[in-house]
Amino acid sequence: MDVAIELKNISRSFKSHFWQSKKEILKDVSLEITKGEIFGFLGPNGAGKTTTIKIITGLLRPDSGSIRIFGHPANTLEAKKRIGFLPESPYFYGHLTGYEFLNIHGRLGNVKDHKHVTNDLLHKVGIDYAADLPLRKYSRGMLQRIGIAQALISEPDLFILDEPLSGLDPIGRKEIKELIIEQKNKGKTVFFSSHILPDAEALCDRIGIIINGKVVHIGKLKDILKKGTKTDEITLEEWFVRQIKEEHA
Amino acid sequence: MHRIWAICENAFKEGLRQRILIILLIFAVLILVISVFLGPFTLGEAPKIARDIGLAATSFFSVLIVIIIGSTLIHKDIEKRTIYTVVTKPVRRSEIIIGKFLGLFFLVAMIQGGMTLIQQLVLYIFEGSFDLSLLFALPYSFMEIMILIGILLVFSSFSSPTLSAIMGVIFYVIGHATPDIKLFADQTEAVILKYCANAFYYILPNLENFNLRIDLVHKLPLYPDQILFSVCYGFIYTIFLIYLAIIIFERREFK
Repeated sequence: MDVAIELKNISRSFKSHFWQSKKEILKDVSLEITKGEIFGFLGPNGAGKTTTIKIITGLLRPDSGSIRIFGHPANTLEAKKRIGFLPESPYFYGHLTGYEFLNIHGRLGNVKDHKHVTNDLLHKVGIDYAADLPLRKYSRGMLQRIGIAQALISEPDLFILDEPLSGLDPIGRKEIKELIIEQKNKGKTVFFSSHILPDAEALCDRIGIIINGKVVHIGKLKDILKKGTKTDEITLEEWFVRQIKEEHA
Repeated sequence: MHRIWAICENAFKEGLRQRILIILLIFAVLILVISVFLGPFTLGEAPKIARDIGLAATSFFSVLIVIIIGSTLIHKDIEKRTIYTVVTKPVRRSEIIIGKFLGLFFLVAMIQGGMTLIQQLVLYIFEGSFDLSLLFALPYSFMEIMILIGILLVFSSFSSPTLSAIMGVIFYVIGHATPDIKLFADQTEAVILKYCANAFYYILPNLENFNLRIDLVHKLPLYPDQILFSVCYGFIYTIFLIYLAIIIFERREFK
């Protein structure tokens, strides 16, 4: 079994102000994401989803524990070559046009035929009509699409998407979901966080639930949905709410 | 190298598309033109005054542009989270710093080149000939700009744009006062003060090394060893500052 992401005993604390004591945001988090799967990382606000993602992508360092991406330590060039990352609520350079932005990211991702790939991707995410428009004039949904495009540009093996479906209209969500499934069909791994449980339900092979910095459940979606009752399946939303209530009880 | 050029291109375009740049450039060109009209108010020194003001305006506006754009160079990327998609690409942090440095340097060098060209045209129109000796000021001014961008990169890597801008101004002012610091060190009797003043003189950037205004306006000779020293000093100091900015930026986290 090939492992795409391996997190071992990750802990991380933050101080919100220098006079305050540190607050532990991640508590001994361990995860293994298998190559080729779509993994949904779910949890309420402030649970530690984005912090986990930032540690995987090298934006933050853990206080303790280790991270490997396809066997390479996180934040190395070898690891970063394999990753396509979409941050939460992405903000991009407003002075660049959509084409310039993607083209620069293509060059950063060592894409050889970056001009051609840029045009293809703009078409693929449905914003080729706005290629020459500065990004400051893009709507939230358009920014999300160009964000997905920059994650796709170097054809990485692993996609790390922080809330990829937020801010999109129903058509946009459907198209991005199709893109995610298309990547899985190509053998790519997708790790994404989401608040939108029906979307996670539609996409994921496995999910992980994080509450208060602790991973409380990892499992296959079909197994989870059968756990609720002996006979009928429950929805992911019902199961999720039950888990959170149990954790807070 | 192509990754450094991609970052450089982005920084160049970011600076070029700022509205403040246009306003500053209009002011700069106005001053270059006005400088030749000050002739009647001087006692037969009109050509020298026009040249002095022209060179000073070119230098002043270049420094102003460096401080305004350079102080936000790294900080804005972190604040607006635009850096996230860049640092997570297979790019070294050192490449980001070098790319940003080059982007701003090429922008200011282009502006300085343009202002020098305008100054030459103004002189040609009003005096009937170019003064190509003034072009010697350009590479010297580039050295000063390189050091200032380095200073702003260092501060912009860990502090706010306001603090970076203030530090940029302080270093610029002190950088031009280092000969006075040396004079003070040589003349003071107090041993501790002498030691401190000497330390400041050798640590702080000596931007007077790149000030050729008096030499050029008064047509004083330039010596090869002086030129070589200034060029070596400029490059070594800039490399040191870029290295410092890289060390700080590599340790940086993005919360």
